[in-house]
Parts: sequence; structure tokens; C-alpha cells
Amino acid sequence: MSELSTAVPSSQGVSLWDDAWARLKKNRLALLAATFLILEVLIFFLAPLIAPHSYEVQDLERTMTGPSWRHWFGTDTLGRDLFARVLYGGRVSLTVGILASMVSAIVGVIYGSISGFLGGRWDNLMMRVVDVLYALPFIFLVIILMVYFGRNFMLLFVALGLTQWLTMARIVRGQVLSLRHKEFIEAATVLGIQRKWIIFRHLIPNTLGPVIVYLTLTVPAVILEEAFLSYLGLGIQAPLASWGTLIKEGVDVMDLAPWMLFFPALFLSATLFSLNFLGDGLRDALDPKGAKD
Amino acid sequence: MTRNRWFISFFVLWNLVAPGHCVHAAVSQVLHLGNGTEPKDLDPQTVTGVPETKIIQSLFEGLVDKDPKSLEPRPGVAESWKVSKDGKVYTFKLRRNAKWSNGDPVTAADFIFSWKRLLDPKTASEYAYQGYYFRGGKNFNTGKTDGSQLGIKSTDPYTLEVTLENPTPYFLSLLYHHSLYPVHQQTVEKYQMRWTRPEHIVSNGAFLLKKWQMNKVIIVERNPTYWDAVNVKLDSVHFHAIEKAETEEKLFQVKKLHATATVPTEKIASWTQNASGVLKRHPYLGTYYYWINVNRPPLNKPQVRKALALAIDREKLVKFVVKGGQAPAESFTPPGTGGFQPQAKLPRDLSRLNEAQALLAQAGFPKGKGFPTIEILYNTSEGHKKIAEAIQQMWSEHLGVKASLYNQEWKVFLDTQHSKNYMISRAGWIADYNDPHTFLELLTTGNGNNHSSWSNLNYDGVLEQVQKEISSKKRLELFQKAEDILLEELPVIPLYIYTRLYLLSPQVQGWYDNVEDIHPLKWVWIQ
Repeated sequence: MSELSTAVPSSQGVSLWDDAWARLKKNRLALLAATFLILEVLIFFLAPLIAPHSYEVQDLERTMTGPSWRHWFGTDTLGRDLFARVLYGGRVSLTVGILASMVSAIVGVIYGSISGFLGGRWDNLMMRVVDVLYALPFIFLVIILMVYFGRNFMLLFVALGLTQWLTMARIVRGQVLSLRHKEFIEAATVLGIQRKWIIFRHLIPNTLGPVIVYLTLTVPAVILEEAFLSYLGLGIQAPLASWGTLIKEGVDVMDLAPWMLFFPALFLSATLFSLNFLGDGLRDALDPKGAKD
Repeated sequence: MTRNRWFISFFVLWNLVAPGHCVHAAVSQVLHLGNGTEPKDLDPQTVTGVPETKIIQSLFEGLVDKDPKSLEPRPGVAESWKVSKDGKVYTFKLRRNAKWSNGDPVTAADFIFSWKRLLDPKTASEYAYQGYYFRGGKNFNTGKTDGSQLGIKSTDPYTLEVTLENPTPYFLSLLYHHSLYPVHQQTVEKYQMRWTRPEHIVSNGAFLLKKWQMNKVIIVERNPTYWDAVNVKLDSVHFHAIEKAETEEKLFQVKKLHATATVPTEKIASWTQNASGVLKRHPYLGTYYYWINVNRPPLNKPQVRKALALAIDREKLVKFVVKGGQAPAESFTPPGTGGFQPQAKLPRDLSRLNEAQALLAQAGFPKGKGFPTIEILYNTSEGHKKIAEAIQQMWSEHLGVKASLYNQEWKVFLDTQHSKNYMISRAGWIADYNDPHTFLELLTTGNGNNHSSWSNLNYDGVLEQVQKEISSKKRLELFQKAEDILLEELPVIPLYIYTRLYLLSPQVQGWYDNVEDIHPLKWVWIQ
């Protein structure tokens, strides 16, 4: 038999979020990552004020110069200031990454939890739809969307998000399947709580752990996919750049101008690391079962 | 991939173990060429691009061949020919041992069929105008007469008599162009669109199509039925479809390619310093330019087109962006084509920027106000992208005109150009024969390769006159007249004159630099 917890449950219930916040605060690495990300977002959105040069003005007589006082990160093959380009590129990459992940999370979580909660025939049907969509090559879907609706920045979020929600839906469905026969759900059912509130109030918060971890993996995946689409001419259009396109340009000339690869890659990897640390911290904080103290 | 590797190692082992297996040559005669991109098709009468041309030249042979060094016409399928005094009637004697790859003899009827196919309006060949030299060719192509009126006939299977509309000094070298190559009638009729597939194709050149792997490689092998097969030294040639210059360069460095299609612009400087001499650089009869779709407002206004053309700093563009020692284009025809030195009509730099700004204001867009965003289309490549970005910046900086860029893969790009579904499109035109006519005829009304929709009767008239003119001095004057009209109206914006730049392994022999960049593979071998 398991022994009873030594902690006396407080009579004045602590909300899930308060609890999570208290736990997150103790995780230094996650806090550091969060600070870094917030700073980064601030810098990117204030880029026009911070960057001493424009990201698109070319100085053809100063192409591929190394980092200097004038150009902190050096210049690219058309003599554009790399610092400005990395900032603006971060804007694009983070926006695409976060918005597309949000699209995937919202669609995936709702779809997956409904499917898992309803179970039986509905679950079967809904998961087969996911299987069918899995079988569609992602790139065709995006290309068809792009060709049909034209080259549009917003559409990119939607298209990328739409291809990412499938795995999310499966993860959430699995979680919900294991949760839906738990006592607290049965209690809620007995109390006569509407189904939709059971899903939104009780099931979804309990799936957040894996969802957040998966989200932190989706963001980098989307950033990389965006780079690929841009290469095909379907993503960001020049002179605007994203980290993906900057890195691609950098790889081509890495033996001549290593800084063109180094700086965008540095920012991309720092961001991805932070996202992962923060994701880890959030999972620990949000998992009601994982309360170690 | 893995399966391939297994297969290769098995093959190597077999070679080591198998008793009595003889080793043929010290050096394998397999040539690997970077061919830029996946060809649109391999049908001589319908393709228009350089990557296609390179492959087709190895698969088919026309009436005349070209000397690899001097580019002088030399006997191909025709073993000899006679020209009438007025220069209008050519009588070709075909060699009796010229064969198709299925064993059929190549006869005069094959040429008649192929040339009629080129001109037939149903074929809708963009290169149909290469057949306008034949008497009645244009009328047939435009549907005014049927094919029976054409000035092509055979008195016996091995004699072909061709009557031209006008005496054409470069007619023989024109016959080397792929649009006038013969195709095998039964094969074309039987398989229709699919006749160029490796399993169907019947050809008559020094090589045979063995394998066509989409977006990867096209392999041709020595053709045993070719009449001059004993002189063909290569066993096979692999044309690799690699769009990225950087990838090509790396494959060249690890010796997977003997020659590249191009060199990454950023690497030109370091290859130039490289002492091994693998960087080839020579003049090339070609112009890099932008098509302007004159149907799309505001590009329908000549002032706007001129303003755009004058606001480009070509000198800066070639020096800092293109970087290969190319010359800024001051005319549409490259200087020196067929002895023609066109007058410089476009500025090398921004010396006429004031005029450009005034013209734009005249057209109703002072300082670019109210000017819609124009789109520049290019085929996917870092090099084209960089040029487009530079021009985008110049227009925005000097004229206040905003442009957006987009790219398409080669086949889609060609279709978009052909259907004129663009505003401004990157283009390059390489001489089909060494005469200014090959450039200037592009812009005549109804020319299948005229993607600008521009039509100017004056211009058409001048080029028609050129055709009838025999005096070479007068011809050059007429060419200048055509250039003058063209550069006043600017349905094209010439940017620079090509310089051929590529990497070539010193192992490759029988390969000579020339202005048309023609390297008949029949004469090439590996040392």
C-alpha cells in the first residue's frame, strides 16, 4: 500500500497557474531562457530603432567585409549590414515559428482532446482523417496553397501550422485517452458538468505538459521549414530575410565570409536552446503530477 | 542510396575476383558534366533552353556539324553540298551510312518531315522562325499555306534541295541549330509527347539516351550505329541537373564533375587566383537582360521602361554583383557579333539618372509616387537572385519604384514566360549563330521567343530588309537602325554581356573555348 502524503493539503486551493509559477521561479535555467527570449523579442521588434543601418540598403563597394565598428556583424554579398539583417530576420523567423506553432497547438489540442474524449467510433474516424493527412506530402500541400492563394506572408503561418498539428493531435489524444477514466473526470461527469467544460477545464490543462514540450520542438521545425520554402521561392521574398535564408546564404560562402554563417546560426541556436530550456521548465512546472516538493 | 552503394561495392568486388576479367582502358571514358538544371524536354523542335541544347547536340546530328575549334561548318549527315550562284538554293548530298539508332537509314525524307514539323502551326514551336529561311516557311507557320508550298524537296532519298527565301550568309551554321535536326518520323508519330523517353527515343547522333532520372542525371552512351562511331572516344556522358552553383563547385572539387555549368559568383576571385587553371573564362555571345511585359501597365509606357533602364548602374552591377569580368550591356546585341559593333545607347552608370527621373515624372509618377509594385521573376538561382536584389535596390533608391522578387523552377519559369504571365522577367539570350540577326529577330512581331508582347512594324520592316540585303556594310547599318528603335522602346532591359565562366578539369581533351560555347562531345576525350 502506498503511504499517505505527508503534506497536509491546504484548504484554500492553489490554482494550477499559481502553483506552476511558483515552481517555475525555482528553475533558474528556465528563467534565464525566458529572460533571454523576452529580451530577444523586444530587440527584434524595436529593430528599426536599434539597428544603425537598414536591412535592405546595399553598399556594393563594401561586400563581404568582416565585423567592424561600422558593421558589427560585417556585411553580406551585396554589402548589406548583417546586424540589421539578423535582427529583421529574427523578427520573421520568430513570428513564423511562434504563430505557426500556435496554429498547430490550437488545432491539434482541440482536435486531439475531442477525439480522445469521445472515443469509440468518433475517435476512430477522426484519427483516420489524421492518418490520411499524414500521408499527404507536406510540401505539396503548402505549394498548392501558395499557388492557389498567391504568395502571402500570413498564409505561410497557416500553411506551416496546418501541417504541424497532426502530431500534436495524436499526442493530446493519447493523453486524454489515459485521463478520461480517471476519478476526477468521473467525478466531474457525475456532477453533471457539461462535456465541453470537462474537456476545456479538466482534460486540456492536464495535457499541457507534453503539449508544451512538443511546442518547443515545433518552433524550430517550423523555422527550418520556412527556410526551405523560402529557398523554393514560396516563403519570404527578398530583400526581407529570415534566419533560415541568412544561414543558407552563409553556408554558400562560409569559407570566404564565415561571419555570414556564424551570426545568424548563433542567434538561431541560442533561441532554440532557450526555447528548449523554457519548455522543460514549463513542463515541470505545469505537470500537476510532477509535484516533487 | 544505400542500395546503390551496395551495388557498387559488389561490382568492384566482382571486378577483383572474376578471373580473366580484362581492364580496358587506363582512364574511364565517362564524362560528368554539370548541366545546370533539369531539361524541359529533349525534343529538338520544341525546346528553347541552353541545358536542353547541350544534351540534344549529343543525341542528334544535323546536316552539318561544327568544327570544335573554328566553328566552321563541316559535313554532318550531309557529306557535301552545293550552293547556287544567287545563294538561294542549297543541294545537299546525304551520306549513305548515316543511320538512326534503330538501324533505319537517315534520308532526305527525315529532314523534310522534321522541318515541316518545326513549321507546322500544330507543333507550336517557339523556334519555328528558324524555318522562315525556307521559301514559304513563314506562310506555312502562320497558316496561310499548307506544307506543300515549302521550298524543300528531295530528288532521291539522299539528295535534299533547299530553296531559301533570301540568300542567307549564315545558313550553313544555322543547320547546326537543334531546331533543324532530324527526328524519326515513326517514333514521333507513335509515341507523341512521350517519344523522347529513353525507352522510346530513336536518334542519329554520336550518343544514345540511356537513362533519364528526373532532377538528377541524364546519361547518354556511345551510339554504335552512328556513322562515325569509330571516332567517338567517350563511352558515356552524364549530364547532372544541379541548380546550385555551390553544389556543382563542391562536386567538381571532389572530382565528381569534369566540368561545371557555372561558378558561384563569390568564388570567382579565389578560382582566378588558383594556379591550376581550371577556371575557364572566355567571351560568350550572349546578353543577360530583363524582359518587360509591355501589356502590363504601367510598363506599357515607353517612358517608364526607359526610366527603369536608365536607373540601373550596370558598371556597379558587373563589378560588384556579377563579378566575372562581364561587360555592361550598352546595346542589346553583344559587340562583335558577326562583326557588328553596335553604338552604345545605354549608359554604363547613372550618368543619365536625371533623364530617368524626368521620364518617370512625365509618365505620371514623379519620384515613383503612385507607381504600383512591379514584380521581377527569375529562375531559381542564387546568382539571379542577387542581381534582381541589386536592381530592386537601384530602382527603389533612384526612382522610388518598389519591386518585389519571386522565383520559379526552370520548367515552370519557361512556361510563365511563354504564357506572358509576368511583369518583368530575367532572361539571357545566347547566339544561335554568329550574326546580329539571332539577337534582333527575337523582338520581331510573332516571334515565338518574343516574350515581351512588344510589336513594332518599323522594327519588323528593318529586319525584313536585313534578310534581303546582300551587302554586308548595308546589313550592319540596318542592324544599327534596329538597335536604335529597340533601345528607344526598350521591351527589354539589357544588363550585361555574358562572359563564359566555368570550371573544367585538365583531364578533358578536345574541348576548346569559343564564343558560342559549343563543345561537340564527339571530339572530346578524357586523359
